[in-house]
Amino acid sequence: MSMSIYEQHYLLDCMLEMGDLLLDCGAEVSRVEDTLNRMARAYGATRADVFVIPALISITLNFPETEPVTETRRITSNGSTDFYRLEKINALSRRCCAAPIPLPELRQTLDHVAAGRKPFRVVFWGSVLGGGGFAVFFGGSLWDGLAAAVFGAGICLLQNRLGRTQLNTVAFNLLISLLTGLAVGLVTGLIPALHMDKILIGDIMLMIPGLAMTNAIRNMLVGNTISGTMRLAECLIWAGALAGGFMVALAIVEAIGGRIGA
Amino acid sequence: MSVREIITQLLAAFVGSLGFALVFGMRRRYLFCASLGALLGWGVYLGAEALLASSFLPPLLAAAFAVSYSEIMAKVLKTPATLFVIPAIIPLVPGGSLYYTMSYAVHRDMANARLYGTRTLETALAVAAGISFVLAVRELRARRQ
Repeated sequence: MSMSIYEQHYLLDCMLEMGDLLLDCGAEVSRVEDTLNRMARAYGATRADVFVIPALISITLNFPETEPVTETRRITSNGSTDFYRLEKINALSRRCCAAPIPLPELRQTLDHVAAGRKPFRVVFWGSVLGGGGFAVFFGGSLWDGLAAAVFGAGICLLQNRLGRTQLNTVAFNLLISLLTGLAVGLVTGLIPALHMDKILIGDIMLMIPGLAMTNAIRNMLVGNTISGTMRLAECLIWAGALAGGFMVALAIVEAIGGRIGA
Repeated sequence: MSVREIITQLLAAFVGSLGFALVFGMRRRYLFCASLGALLGWGVYLGAEALLASSFLPPLLAAAFAVSYSEIMAKVLKTPATLFVIPAIIPLVPGGSLYYTMSYAVHRDMANARLYGTRTLETALAVAAGISFVLAVRELRARRQ
């Protein structure tokens, strides 16, 4: 199969789109590189140089008897883990590697996958279970779990609301942790039977980049040093923003509590 | 730890991980298997903690177990292993120690803040090492074939 220059660029464009989508679903850098390399080979490239870091994808393809083609894409957002789309892209890449599908069809399928997001209802109930479950897991009572579940629902709604305003990660996390800290502090101040620390830990699990941090360290251990350090730095700043928000909230709650107690 | 506490914790790990699997948009038919991985992984953690006098090895072993479990599940159900790895290692994420680090820092108790801060990073490192170890073994075996 020989490709015209136009087709080669069309393919490159589809591959960049695919890589972009994969990163947006939380796929790891090594996985994205692997998938794109396979795609290139499936479509008949004699050589493919794929370079992916969380902020950039660069692909150069060589086809027989033509000049190499290169395209680069700047990635601005790395979304949260989304198995819903991740699985679909995986299935698509497998299909293409088994037998390459026509490029317009590839493009269409990618657009289709990009448009379909995981249903909000599921994310909402997931946050409720996640916050509640982990409050109990880290030693809270059943009542703490219930309270954390309710706050988890609030956090989910807030994340959904603020996510649409395109705030940067630091401002976003600072605001969410501040509001959560204040709300939990207030409620546990009024109902002494509830444990503030357990409820907050359960809900923090919904917000902390613990998973991203583990992945960052893993990236470094397998040799993706640039991506690993980039992600780790990102996570530490993110965790710092969360900590900052909670610290202010705790300080405010304690100041108010001290005034009332005295 | 009493038996009752252990059972509560295992069930809570299951429920919490189920929540995360939902948040990540996992398909319904994989939900049970994914959350079960978290429950069993935490069981391995508790067992290792009881047998070994170490704070580094239990999360490492539990993560290694979680990845092995996910690889097997992925083979059986014919899906990428990542789908199962992520929910299974969620209980190993050091959310508790991260919180206490912040809380002690607010109260200007820097000795304890440092203690919990170190523990947080140590756990993250142990989990990452456990995952990488199993993946490296798998890659070696794949190359030999």
